Amino acid sequence: MTSTSIDVASKVEAPSIAPSRGYWGPVFRRLSRDPVALIAGIILLCILAMALFSPWLAPMDPYKTSMINRLQPIGTPGHWLGTDELGRDMLSRLIYGARLSLLIGVMPIVNAFVIGSAIGIVAGFVGGKTNTVCMRIIDVFYAFPAVLLAIALAGALGAGIVNSLFSLTVVFIPPIARVAESVTTQVRSVDYIEAARASGAGSLKIIRCHVLGNVLSPIFVYATSLVSVSMILASGLSFLGLGARPPMPEWGLMLNTLRDAIYVNPWITILPGVMIFTVSICFNTLSDGLRSAMDVKL
Amino acid sequence: MNTYFLKRILYVIPITLAVSFFCFSLVHLSPGDPMDAVVSPDAPSEVVAMVQRAYGFDRPLPEQFGLWVSRAVQGDLGMSAANGRAVTTEVFGALKNTLLLAIAASMIGFSLGCTFGVLAGYYQGSLLDRLVTGFAVGGVSVPHYWLGMLLVIIFSVELNWLPSSGAGPGSSSDWNFEWSYLRHLILPAVTLSVIPMGVVTRTVRAMVADVLAHEFVEALRAKGLAERRIFLHVIKNVAPTALAVMGLQLGYLLGGSILVETVFSWPGTGLLLNNAIFQRDLPILQGTILILALFFVALNLMVDLIQARLDPRIQRG
Amino acid sequence: MVYKKMVAALRHLRQSQRVALVSVGVALFATPALSEDQVLRIAMTASDIPLTTGQPDSGFEGYRFLGYTIYDALINWDMSSADEVSGLTPGLADSWEVDTEDSRVWTFNLREGVVFHDGSEWNADAAIWNLDKIYDEDAEQFDARQAGNVRGRIPSMDGYEKIDDYTIQFTTSEPDAWFPYQLSFLLFSSPAHWEALGGDWDAFASNPSGTGPFKLTRLVPRERAVLEPNLEYWDEERVPRLTRLELIPMPESSSRTSALLSDQVDWIESPAPDAIARMESQGMAITSNPYPHTWPYQFSMQEGSPWLDINVRKAANLAVDREGLQAMLGGLMVPAVGIVTPDHPWYGEPTFETRYDPEEAIRLLEESGFSPENPVEVKVLISTSGSGQMQPLAMNEYIQQNLAEVGIALDFEVLDWESLFPNWRRGAGDASSRGAHATNITFAWLDPFSAFYRFMHSSMAPPNGFNWGYMNDPEYDRLLDEARVTFDQDEQDAILAEFHARMVDDAAWLWVAHDVGPRAMQSRVKGFVQAKNWFQDLTPVYIEE
Repeated sequence: MTSTSIDVASKVEAPSIAPSRGYWGPVFRRLSRDPVALIAGIILLCILAMALFSPWLAPMDPYKTSMINRLQPIGTPGHWLGTDELGRDMLSRLIYGARLSLLIGVMPIVNAFVIGSAIGIVAGFVGGKTNTVCMRIIDVFYAFPAVLLAIALAGALGAGIVNSLFSLTVVFIPPIARVAESVTTQVRSVDYIEAARASGAGSLKIIRCHVLGNVLSPIFVYATSLVSVSMILASGLSFLGLGARPPMPEWGLMLNTLRDAIYVNPWITILPGVMIFTVSICFNTLSDGLRSAMDVKL
Repeated sequence: MNTYFLKRILYVIPITLAVSFFCFSLVHLSPGDPMDAVVSPDAPSEVVAMVQRAYGFDRPLPEQFGLWVSRAVQGDLGMSAANGRAVTTEVFGALKNTLLLAIAASMIGFSLGCTFGVLAGYYQGSLLDRLVTGFAVGGVSVPHYWLGMLLVIIFSVELNWLPSSGAGPGSSSDWNFEWSYLRHLILPAVTLSVIPMGVVTRTVRAMVADVLAHEFVEALRAKGLAERRIFLHVIKNVAPTALAVMGLQLGYLLGGSILVETVFSWPGTGLLLNNAIFQRDLPILQGTILILALFFVALNLMVDLIQARLDPRIQRG
Repeated sequence: MVYKKMVAALRHLRQSQRVALVSVGVALFATPALSEDQVLRIAMTASDIPLTTGQPDSGFEGYRFLGYTIYDALINWDMSSADEVSGLTPGLADSWEVDTEDSRVWTFNLREGVVFHDGSEWNADAAIWNLDKIYDEDAEQFDARQAGNVRGRIPSMDGYEKIDDYTIQFTTSEPDAWFPYQLSFLLFSSPAHWEALGGDWDAFASNPSGTGPFKLTRLVPRERAVLEPNLEYWDEERVPRLTRLELIPMPESSSRTSALLSDQVDWIESPAPDAIARMESQGMAITSNPYPHTWPYQFSMQEGSPWLDINVRKAANLAVDREGLQAMLGGLMVPAVGIVTPDHPWYGEPTFETRYDPEEAIRLLEESGFSPENPVEVKVLISTSGSGQMQPLAMNEYIQQNLAEVGIALDFEVLDWESLFPNWRRGAGDASSRGAHATNITFAWLDPFSAFYRFMHSSMAPPNGFNWGYMNDPEYDRLLDEARVTFDQDEQDAILAEFHARMVDDAAWLWVAHDVGPRAMQSRVKGFVQAKNWFQDLTPVYIEE
C-alpha cells in the first residue's frame, strides 16, 4: 500500500538524489524564473506579514462586538468587508485569523517533518529489523484515509487547538516517514557512503555529513506539498467545532459560526473560506515550483 | 506472481487487528465518561451503575477489548450509547448513503478529470493546458466544505434551484433515482468531486504527456498511423493507473465526506460520526471508524491486486 | 396565574408575530377550506428521533414530539391556552388524592374504557406493569434505557401497589406536595403489545403502542418518524385533525431554515433569529410565547469563589443590559429578574430591584475593592449550543462586555453541550469544572422542585442534585422543606414567595433571560395554539389550502 492523504497517491515514486553543496543558490534562481510560483510566494509572504503584524494592520479590535452593527454587508463604510454575526469587523478578524489559521495549518507539518524524518532516516539507515518494525507500524496508519484519521483522533480527544495540532501531526508523520525512509535507503547504497563506511567513519558521522545533506531536500519538498492539505484539514476541524474555540478568530471556525447567517448576508459567510483557499492554492503552487526548481521527482 | 498475491492478502490480517486495536483505544483516549451519553445527568447513581452493567463499561479494559473483538468478528459492534440501537445497523444504514454520494462524486470527478487530463496532455504548454492545470490545482486546494457553502449560496439561497440539505423528500430508505431525490444529490456530489477531479487531471495529464513524448509515438506517427490509433495507444497506457488512482480516491471520499455531509446534512457515515463525536456516543464512533477503515483496507487490497494483474511490473508492497 | 409582564413584553414583539398569534386564535372560529391531505412535517432540533418506547430521551423536545403524542401520563399537561400558564389535567387517571392521615400515600383512580393502540385495555395491571418496567430490575419488561430517562424525574417515588382493577396507590419517600408534577413524566406503554412482539423493546421502538392521540406508523432512525391519528382517542376533543404528522430531526439551524424556505417542511423549531426577517418576507408565520424557562449563571459558593461577596453578585445583576440583549435576539426573549417572572405567585416581594444600573454596580464593586481597571476575575462554563440554551455564544459575549464595563472580567471555558450538561451534576468542585466559578445551563421550571429545590436546597449538592455551586443556606432549606409538605396551594405559594424574594435579595444567581420558544411555519398551517409550556398540543393543528 503506497499513498496516503488526499492526493499523495501520485507523488510517491522513486526520489532522485540531489547534490548537497552550492545548492540553494541555483534553486532560487530557477524559482525566480517561474512567475506563477513567484506570485504564490509573494502572496504567502503578505499573508505571513498579516499574521505577524496584525495588531498594526487590523483597523479594529477583532473581539469588539457591536449588536447594532451585526451582519453589515461588504462595502459598509468603516467595515469594508462587513461585520459578522456579533458585529465584529470582518476585515480585522480575517487579518487576525491568519495567525491561528497558519499556526494550526503549518505547525503539524513542521512537527511531522521533524519526527517523520527522524523515524524514516533512522529506519532507512539502520535497515533490517528496525526498518521493518517502523514501517509496519506506519502501515497501520495508512489504513485510514487522512481526513478520517484526523477527525477520529480529534473527535476522541475532544475539541481544542492542542488536540487538533496533535491529531494532524499524527496524520502527517507516516507519509513523511515513508518518503524519508525510501530516500535514505537509496542514499545509503550510494558508492561514496559505502566508501566513507569502509574508511571507518562512525554511523552518526555518516548520517550527519552524507545522509542528511542528501535526503533533507526531497523530504522538504514533499512536506511543502502537504501544507495545503494540512491547512484544509486544520480549518476543517475548526469548522466541525473540533479545533479553535469561539471567540478566537480562526478562518475555519469563522466559516462555522457564520453559517447561520447564510440567509441573511450570504456573501460575508464565504470570506474566511476565500482566505483558506488562497493560502492552500499558494502553497500547492509554490510546492510545485519548488519541486521543479530543485529537480526533485517525488 | 502468486506469492505476491498471497503475501499481499495475508498482510491484511495483522493490519486489520492493529486497526481494531486502534479503534478500541480511541474510546479510552477520550476524556469524557462513556456513560454521559447514555444516562441523563439527573439519573440517580444506582441507575448509572445499572446502565453501566448493561453496556459492560464496568469491566476491566483488556476484558472489554477481548469481548469487543470477539463480538466484532461475529458482526456485533455493540449498541449506540445514545439510542441503544445496534452499531452495525446504524453504520451500514449510513454507509449505503455515503457510498451513493462517493460513487456519484467519483464518477463526476473521474470523467471530468480524464477529459481534462487528456486535453491538457495533448496540448501541453497551450493556454488550454494552463487553464486546465490551474483548475486542477484549484480542485486539490479548495476547502470542499467551503465550496459546498458557496454552491448552497448560489444554487439554493440566491437562485433557489436545488435543495441545500437532506437526501430527499422522504427518508433515505425510500431512495430512488427520481428527480425529486436526485436533485438532493447534485450539490453534495459536485462538491465532493472536485478533489478526485483535480487528482485525476494531474495524473492523467502527466502520463499522457509522458507517453506522447516517447520515441515510439514519433515512430508510429512517422509510419503514418492514424491519430485515432495513437490516441487508443495512449489510453491503453494511461487507463490502469488512472483507474487505480480513482479506486484509491473512492476510498478517501468515503472517509473524507464527513465535512461535506455535515454541510449538506447528508445522512451518511460522516454525519453519523459527527453526531457521535458531539454526543460522545463512543460505540458508534468506534464502529464507524472501524468499518470505514476496513473498507479502505479492502479497497486498497483490491486496487493493488487488480493493478498487479493489469501490469505485472508494478508489484507494490 | 397570568404573566402580566410577559404579556406586556410580548406586545413589544414584532407586529407580525402578534398577528400570527391572533390569526391562530381567529382560525379556530373560521370555517376554512380544508386540505385533503392533512400532512404536517416538523423539523425538530434533536439530532435523532427521540426514544419511542415510552419514556423519551432528548429532553423535553422528546416529550413534546414522541412522548405526549403517542402516550399519556396519569396526569397530563393542559396545553390548550396561550394566555394562562399551563396546569395539570387528568390523563389516564380520573382523579387523585393524598391520604389525610399519612401524607406520603396517594390514591389514583384510573380512567375506565381507555384502550391502547393495539386494542388492549388500560387498567391497574397495565399501570403496575409499566412501573415495574422502570423500577423492578428483575422484571422481564425492565428497560434500563427507559428507567434511566425517567427515574430522575420522579425523585419522591418510594412504592406502588394495585388496590383494585382501576385503583392504584403510590407511596412517596417523604411527604411531597409536588408529587403530581413528577407523575406527568411517567408514560404508559402497552404490555399486551410488548408481549405480542416477543418481549423485545427494540421491536417495540419501531412499532410502539400507547394510549395517546397519535400512533407511530413508521420509524426511520435518525431521519423520520411518521405518526397517524388515533381516531379512538379517549378524549374526543383532542382527536387530531391531521392525517399524518412527520417528525424530522435537523440539529443545524441553517438546515432547518433552508428546509422551511424551500418548502421541504411545514414547521421548524427554533429558527435562527437572523433568518426570521427573511422567513416573514416569504410569508411564513413566526409564533412565540414565554414559557417556564430561565437562562442564568449559577454561582459557585465554594471557597475562593468571587461570588461569595454579595456586592459582586449584585453588581453582576445590575450590569447586564437585558433590554439590549432582547433587541439583539430580535425580541425573542423576556428579561429575567429571578428564576420566575414578577407576576408569578412565587415571585414574592424582594427589596433588591434587579435592573440595569452600571453606576450602582461600579459603586458596589468599589466597596469590595474592584474597578474596571482592577476587575474581579471570574471563570464561567458555557456551551456552544444545546437544548434551550438559546444563542449561548452571542449572549455570553454580550454579557462579557457588559460586565467588563463595571469591573467583572469573565473568562469563558467553552464546552460542547454534551460535556457541559453532565458537569451540572458533578458540581463546581469536580475536575471537569476546571475551576470555574459559574455555569451557564438553562432549565425548565415546571414545579417548585424543578424550579427551586434541586438547585437551592443543601441536600441537593452534587452528586444528589443540581446544586452545582454548593449553595448552603439554612433559611432556604427551612422554607423549601416547609413548602414541600404544605398541601394547601395558597399557603404553599406564600412560602415559596418568601423563599424567592429572599433569593432575589441575595442576588443568589445572575438572572438573564426567559426564552419565548420561537417557531416558524408555513402560512397554511393553522389551528396551533402555542401554550406557555415546553410541551405543545399538535391535535388542533390543520392544513389549509
